[in-house]
Amino acid sequence: MSDDKHDLHSPAPMVDEVSEFEVLELAVRELAIEKGLFTKEDHNRWTEYMHTLGPAPAARLVAKAWLDPEFKKLAVNDGVKASLDVGIDWINSMPTNFGTPSDYCNLRVLEDTPKLKHVVVCTLCSCYPRPILGQSPEWYRTPNYRRRIVRWPRQVLAEFGLQLPEDIEVRVEDSNQKSRFIVLPVRPEGTEGWSEDQLAEIVTRDCLIGVAVPKPSVTANRKRPVRRAVNPYHH
Amino acid sequence: MSKPHYDRNHHVEKATDIGDPQCFKGEAGKPRFKVGDRVRVRNLPDIFYTRTQGYVRGAEAVVAELVYESPPAEDESWDNTENVEWFYSLVFKMADLWPDYPDYFPNDTVETEIPEHYLEAA
Repeated sequence: MSDDKHDLHSPAPMVDEVSEFEVLELAVRELAIEKGLFTKEDHNRWTEYMHTLGPAPAARLVAKAWLDPEFKKLAVNDGVKASLDVGIDWINSMPTNFGTPSDYCNLRVLEDTPKLKHVVVCTLCSCYPRPILGQSPEWYRTPNYRRRIVRWPRQVLAEFGLQLPEDIEVRVEDSNQKSRFIVLPVRPEGTEGWSEDQLAEIVTRDCLIGVAVPKPSVTANRKRPVRRAVNPYHH
Repeated sequence: MSKPHYDRNHHVEKATDIGDPQCFKGEAGKPRFKVGDRVRVRNLPDIFYTRTQGYVRGAEAVVAELVYESPPAEDESWDNTENVEWFYSLVFKMADLWPDYPDYFPNDTVETEIPEHYLEAA
């Protein structure tokens, strides 16, 4: 069925679809510009700022926490303060200086243990710790992921290629209010003696959302094949 | 008639250099629940906006953490920031939310944040 060379747990394909909200955003943005609430230049400045963000600082935070138990304690207790050490200032970042309405300044770092695995979702919309993780991946915003991960978490994780033993507690973190979340995964075996740079490399975006676990040889998110929608959304 | 004046900047002025929800710290008073308490989410009516998911309403949970103080989203969406309250991070058992959740994963949970006025002692 799928044309990639798949191993035992290869990711299942996703459906390519445009959500109503993307159409809505475009319409509201155009109206706001016409009405003069903000200008096209404001919008460009904002978009360019957003494009400078990415998951690298969060990966660095995890690598530091693996190496330094004191820093790990700080990260778990006060994610906003710990972010300063990886160059992310939640309180005074451009361009609003108090976060944006959807990037409230309360980062919680969720520590996995050998018996507890966290995975992050926003079932109500698509809240995501953008200052430290960049823009959310397409699948994170789809109703498909948001509906099913709280209902059938193990099945959805299995679609990402992550199969967990029964005795591990899967904890789905539904990001519904002003906290934003990243996962601090368990440091994998086979990374003894690694430097911070080496460790940061294996902490991919998917590991930080919780749909993957870091592995010594894996430094990129797994590609999920995309299948065309049977009834695509027309607009 | 003169043009009405809307105060659109009060939130910016309050939150700049402090952060949101940090800017509401100390305004909620004494929390009603503490870590470890069992609570139930009330199914309150909401007009137009809520951030209390349908699937947690009526379900019981354990308070995992008192996370911050803030006006509830239901008020804040109408620019009403008078009623600041405590927010609780709650842990629900999957089996309590979904009757048909498989028995062989009894430890699985959902954690989410709910403002105080939605909670009652269970």
